[in-house]
Amino acid sequence: MEDETKSRVVGVDISKELTTYAIVDIRGNIIAENRFVTTDYPDINDFVTKLSESIVMLVEENGGLFSIRSIGVSSPSGNFLTGSVVNSPNLPWKGDIPLAAMLRDRMGLAVGVANDAHVAALGEHTYGSAHGMKDFIVVTLGSGLGSCFFSNGSEHRGFSGFAGEVGHTCVIDHGRRCGCGKEGCLEAYAAAQGIVKTAEELMAESDKPSLMRQVEHLTPRAIAELCQQGDEMAIEVYRRTGYILGIGLANYASIVNPQAIILAGGISHAGHWLTDPVRESFETHVFQNLRGKVKLLVSKLNDRERDVLGASALAWEIPEYSLFK
Amino acid sequence: MAQGKIKTRVVGVDIGLERTTTAVVDIRGNILGKDDFPTSDYPNISDFASVLCDNIITLVQAHGGYETIRAVGISVPSGNYRTGCVVNSPNMPWKGVVPMAAMLRDRIGLAVSLGNNAHVRALGEQTYGAAHGLKDFILITLGTGMGSCLVSNGVPHLGQDGFAGEIGHCCAVPGGRQCGCGKKGCLEMYTSKKGIVMTAQELLADSDAPSLMREVDTLTLSYMIDCCEKGDEMAIEVFNRTGKTLGLALANYASVFNPEAFVFTGSVMCAGEWLLKPTEETFQEHVFRNIAGRVKFLSSELEKEEMDLLGASALAWEVEEYSLFK
Repeated sequence: MEDETKSRVVGVDISKELTTYAIVDIRGNIIAENRFVTTDYPDINDFVTKLSESIVMLVEENGGLFSIRSIGVSSPSGNFLTGSVVNSPNLPWKGDIPLAAMLRDRMGLAVGVANDAHVAALGEHTYGSAHGMKDFIVVTLGSGLGSCFFSNGSEHRGFSGFAGEVGHTCVIDHGRRCGCGKEGCLEAYAAAQGIVKTAEELMAESDKPSLMRQVEHLTPRAIAELCQQGDEMAIEVYRRTGYILGIGLANYASIVNPQAIILAGGISHAGHWLTDPVRESFETHVFQNLRGKVKLLVSKLNDRERDVLGASALAWEIPEYSLFK
Repeated sequence: MAQGKIKTRVVGVDIGLERTTTAVVDIRGNILGKDDFPTSDYPNISDFASVLCDNIITLVQAHGGYETIRAVGISVPSGNYRTGCVVNSPNMPWKGVVPMAAMLRDRIGLAVSLGNNAHVRALGEQTYGAAHGLKDFILITLGTGMGSCLVSNGVPHLGQDGFAGEIGHCCAVPGGRQCGCGKKGCLEMYTSKKGIVMTAQELLADSDAPSLMREVDTLTLSYMIDCCEKGDEMAIEVFNRTGKTLGLALANYASVFNPEAFVFTGSVMCAGEWLLKPTEETFQEHVFRNIAGRVKFLSSELEKEEMDLLGASALAWEVEEYSLFK
């Protein structure tokens, strides 16, 4: 009898608000996709039950369970080596959650779990800007700041799977307090809340007029739109953000010597308002032998698609498993 | 068919600022024979390559003969493994890009590989030293300059162009001390030998407090350590400040790469606990909490004279065998 090759996997993207799940084939075509609200399930058991039922329904409508090879899950604070979600500051479930094991037991399929930066890097490597690169860094800029770096064509996970936490490297000794409990973390300056904080500081520093003063709830996106309208203070917000991010990335690159750094996530949509000052500060602070050699790219994949595609690439990384064999 | 003969020896070469050392090393890391000559006598690279080649030939003929040697590995500051070149070395007499591996291979007829001292020491520690059995670790060299090598999944991470590991030229203090590389505030301007001496001079200039360090014209690291042993508060403060800067940088390094251990090598490490204690305190304070308390601080236990030779010999095993005569 000829062995059958399974040509589809399920990619799951768990984010603070929504959980997206999709069936993806070998070439990265999304066959079917659906989502539900993450925060409706504050109990992890309810969440896993809902997730597995949803996946089963989607799969049964689209080729059946036997066509699926494995499942890849992207989750904030996910650890690939243990398959757990560890001490997530943003998700409703606290402590150490063995998500991969829980889902595998309900689904009878192999499950891989990894954090969003790791998954984004896999997505970029398999289907995006990093295709064909061996040494590169993907930085995810959103409500948090994470990263993943590829060494010799495969991801560097570190001794216990926590590598990549560039958001929690100290850029300003005793600077702003970060959600992680430390002070002066890069994330407290270059992720969403940090950018808003910088805007607030700038507004408090002077009496200069700015359109930002009329916005009730400032967001990085609103600030970027004001940049488009020529608001100088808004431009200054991204200039300061870019300066600090540029130092952080230059130090990262001096150690890794990557071919490229790929920026992904919501904040990266600020475009050249952010990338110009980042590049300037980066070239000033990077090791001289690398000056002008490292490409700074902004991801071209759609944010939600990238995470689901990355999760599907993750699913291919783990060995097949079945309850029925 | 003739039975293939396996070669069990390599030559390790350590090119230092003052001396170049060569050694014949067997598979288990035993140094069978050793020789050296002054590096600075040969400011012309062609002369240097010829002398090095002659020196190696003489040495291997005295220890089992040329046919027993598999390959040559070289440890050299600013060496780039990917290209086999010595690139823009600030300290060596040869300027620009020097294709050292190719030059030596053409003269000696054996495969030659070349790496910078951090890369080579990482291989040495992994093969024969403190990092044996570790898959993810970071080797730190602290001496005249500061370098590092990150080992990822058991393999040294070299980067796209082979320049990875330049922790010494990461920005530690924006707008800080002018570094020889052209940038300001590089880490090595605070943590290398000269950086530590500069910190001492700054402290001495800042106050009139008495200190044993005022009694000498030229401050050296070993003298400052003596001062610490004698309880000199200002000397102890110098190492506290150095440790703070170093600890913060290592915490950032570890947060990004999640290593199992740091392995420290180099002449600054003779400062021992005076430096390591404040370093580790600051490190624990700043490292990402999921890995706090989980990163080991190891000091190399290899002999200073052997460390680079053993590493260079380990590097020699990494390259394909090559012979002019086949």
